[in-house]
Amino acid sequence: MVDILDALFQGLLQLFSWKAFALQLTGIAVGFLVGILPGLGGPVTLALMLPFIFTMSPVEAFSFLLGMAAVTATTGDITSILFGVPGEPITASMIVDGHPMAKKGEAGRALGAALTSSFVGAIFGALCLAIAIPAVRPLVLSVGSPQYFMLAILGLAFLASLTGGSVTKGLVAACLGLLFALVGLDPISGTERYTFEALYLWDGIRLVPATLGLFAIPEIIDMAIARTSIAKADVGKIGGVLQGVKDTFRHWALVMRCSALGTYIGIIPGMGGAVSQWISYAHAVQSSPDKDRFGKGAVEGVLGPGAANHSTLGGAMVPTVAFGVPGSVSTAILLGAFLIQGLVPGPSMLTPEAKGGNLSLTFSFVWIIVVSNIITTAICFLFLAKIARITQVRSTLVIPFILLLCYIGAFAENNAFGDVMVMLVFGALGWVMVQTDWPRPPLILGLVLGGLAEQNLFLTIDNYGMDWLGFPSVIALFVLIVLGTFYPLFQRWRRKRNEPRYQQLAAAVAPQAKEAGPNAIWLSIFSLFVVALFAWALWQAWDWDFRPGLFPWVVGFLALPLAFLQLNLDVAGTVKTIGHGLAKARDQEATRLTRETIKISAWILGYFVAIWLLGFSAAIAVTTLLYLKLAKERWLIALVLTLFAWASFYGMFVYLLHVPFPEGLLFAWLR
Amino acid sequence: MTPRIWLLPATIAALSLVAIPQAPADDFYKGKTLTFVVGFSAGGGFDTYARLVARHIAKHIPGNPTVVVENKTGAGSLIAANYIYNQAPKDGTVIGSWIGPLVLQQVLGNKAAKFDGRKFGWLGAPVSDSCVCALTKASGINTMDDWIKSKRPIKIGATGPGSTTSDVPKLLQAALALPMKVVEGYKGTAKVRLAAESGEVDGGCWAWESIKPTWASGLQSGAVRVVLQAISKSLPDLKNVPLANQYAKSDEARALLEIAGGTYSQGVRPLSVPPGVPQDRLELLQKAFMATLRDPALLAEAKKSKLDIDPTDGPTIAKMMAGLYGTNSEFKSKLTTLLIPGKKK
Repeated sequence: MVDILDALFQGLLQLFSWKAFALQLTGIAVGFLVGILPGLGGPVTLALMLPFIFTMSPVEAFSFLLGMAAVTATTGDITSILFGVPGEPITASMIVDGHPMAKKGEAGRALGAALTSSFVGAIFGALCLAIAIPAVRPLVLSVGSPQYFMLAILGLAFLASLTGGSVTKGLVAACLGLLFALVGLDPISGTERYTFEALYLWDGIRLVPATLGLFAIPEIIDMAIARTSIAKADVGKIGGVLQGVKDTFRHWALVMRCSALGTYIGIIPGMGGAVSQWISYAHAVQSSPDKDRFGKGAVEGVLGPGAANHSTLGGAMVPTVAFGVPGSVSTAILLGAFLIQGLVPGPSMLTPEAKGGNLSLTFSFVWIIVVSNIITTAICFLFLAKIARITQVRSTLVIPFILLLCYIGAFAENNAFGDVMVMLVFGALGWVMVQTDWPRPPLILGLVLGGLAEQNLFLTIDNYGMDWLGFPSVIALFVLIVLGTFYPLFQRWRRKRNEPRYQQLAAAVAPQAKEAGPNAIWLSIFSLFVVALFAWALWQAWDWDFRPGLFPWVVGFLALPLAFLQLNLDVAGTVKTIGHGLAKARDQEATRLTRETIKISAWILGYFVAIWLLGFSAAIAVTTLLYLKLAKERWLIALVLTLFAWASFYGMFVYLLHVPFPEGLLFAWLR
Repeated sequence: MTPRIWLLPATIAALSLVAIPQAPADDFYKGKTLTFVVGFSAGGGFDTYARLVARHIAKHIPGNPTVVVENKTGAGSLIAANYIYNQAPKDGTVIGSWIGPLVLQQVLGNKAAKFDGRKFGWLGAPVSDSCVCALTKASGINTMDDWIKSKRPIKIGATGPGSTTSDVPKLLQAALALPMKVVEGYKGTAKVRLAAESGEVDGGCWAWESIKPTWASGLQSGAVRVVLQAISKSLPDLKNVPLANQYAKSDEARALLEIAGGTYSQGVRPLSVPPGVPQDRLELLQKAFMATLRDPALLAEAKKSKLDIDPTDGPTIAKMMAGLYGTNSEFKSKLTTLLIPGKKK
């Protein structure tokens, strides 16, 4: 015990040699920037920094790398909240409620809540790293493929609570996500599923461009139409930063639960922050008595993911240190650092130095996470009020930059032009889903968990046949799944029962009345499209073998009747609307909306065409300048901003990072 | 001669004013950028080796070009391979790093592979993967005798067809009639290790160069041991572990093991340039490549990173790849059945 305490103390001391500390600050600075910029992910940056650690001692190396990894999620949260563009893949869920808060003028509160809950989550994760290391072996080894499969299904079962107003829509959206998760080459059977013979689609639909499209593109359209700043309401509440801090403590139990959830998911290898953020978001919704507030700026929707995406790192370090099996993408690259430093993950990391191990180094990881988060959170709080003001800048000045972030973000993650097109397709889908009141989070969760579920189901069957159905842990998870699915329905039923009868009647009519706006006919058209999509997917999958075919069949047969049900509801709504003559109620405002929507859509597509023809570099300059000028900005502002956009793009991505941007088609023709 | 020495500066001055028509290979790379295109994402094994070579190769190429590394990921590096063959500039300024067994896939009829493996310019490979099979103590298999006599199929964890983890065990199974079941679908060798430690599978077969550092704790404690080497020559630190070809009983078996010990060993990590790069420039790059891998600075860095360096030169790789195209049709269909999913009939 004395040994352990001594190692804990030594671990802290090691951090404060001047060189280690300077490197940690450097790491934090890099992480800060990387987090803010979409498309520049934490893992890629870590990989690029690896060669620099050759000459460092282990503590210095990890101060640098882990310091960087620890803060990317923090500044990524800021981008997600302010612009509705995910700064990091693991901060995408922050958009769902964080960005609406910013739009309501509560950017300060949202940032305060995100930062505080992040801080709590990070410390929680780090403490778990300290405590869990000795006990981790049985914990990790208890999760085999059957348990993975059940956990993925558990995540999907949480969807029932994510469905917002309409359960049918939520379930169908989840099935859409599962369907998208199936796109690609099934390598085991060699079957190409929904790839249209494009090699690009072999790897499936990537999370980052899909999230960018689903969430960021509709925001841009929305902002352009509203013609205001990001914050539509007056930002008198910037002092709300303190409010956000208070919110964290008001919902203390939720923050702790989500921190624990994030840590646990981190410990399970292969899931990581991309999964933990959504599961905790689902949990935040599920545990709230008032689910209708979510998606419209509920602070719990910020607190949950904030805590979880930060606690995941500490959790993911646990199996990395204890086994050399990384828990997440970032820790997979940190494992490379272990090897470079000649460290052997495993028992020696848990043995005190006196006995030839590296325990104090392991404890220094804990301290690095803690110290980096203290520094980052402090810096962010200093500038928070200023950062939040960005939401007051008028939209014409902001839109070109958000578009730029979207396009670079989609491309640079994997240097694939196909990702940009995926973003546009999902942008269209996301916009339609917003217009027709379909929930988007279940779709993303389906996309995240679909592959995991399928892969582990077949591993399970290959390894255990049918025996796994009798495993106690599997049965326990099954019980949880049943509870998770039916509890929200039960809650709903109980609440309805307690309401007076007339309210119940009103509730029954209300959704129909809401749907019956001027868009009524589009609701039916979109539902029809969804039905057709599933029918087509099933038809395509008809002659596939059992292995590649099972999931498409299950998803198709589940989704088709549900989608059909939704179509019926929508058609009924449309008929009613037309009967009431509401469809005629098109006024000038509606005409303006249509015109503005077409205009901004043209800009978004035009930007894409410009990139395609001119290449990124020239397209950024041309489009930014044109947009600013046509939005009637003054020449000086337009030129300065264009130069700024282009120079920061070129300096960062071309000069420093050598991202291989494709040449414009026009130049290729001219040559 | 001496009286005319004054002509020399004048000649140089004159020459520097006019464009020199054919730059010799020596000067070609001056002021140029040499790009490594890696078919896998940053941080992985392919990327690590490519970046290591990229950091040191400039000083071995006359003209000292600027060197950059790009990751062009997708379809198990097939996108990068197709790009190198069909689209990349054919002047020797682009070098590809993608997984070599794709050439075998192309030979066996993978329609998505749009290249002819004989026509690439092969620079060489920085390291061979020495595929070995490691089984857990819990599996009860301590030696090859145990394995051959095993009453139950030994479960070998693997990622998927086309990878060493899947293809080599399947070749071993076919060649040696080993009781074995290859369980595919694990995302990476770390997951296979985990599955082995939890007892879900009995072990796995992949490069010793990767098993040695990442599974060091298991090897040290004796919880994991190497029982078979699927290569043609014994590794120095595995002297007591038998080679697969000791157990081969037929010519076909030996031929299958040759694929395992060749294409999946020396041929896994080759660097290549597109077809059509001028022969002298290719030779220059081949020489530069071998010189880079003997560079003390590179070796020191590799040692620090625990990366093995065991280079194979370009002509050897070229011969091996060309050899795959000479496979007779009966053997080819045997390989297709074994290695290409969905083509079992």
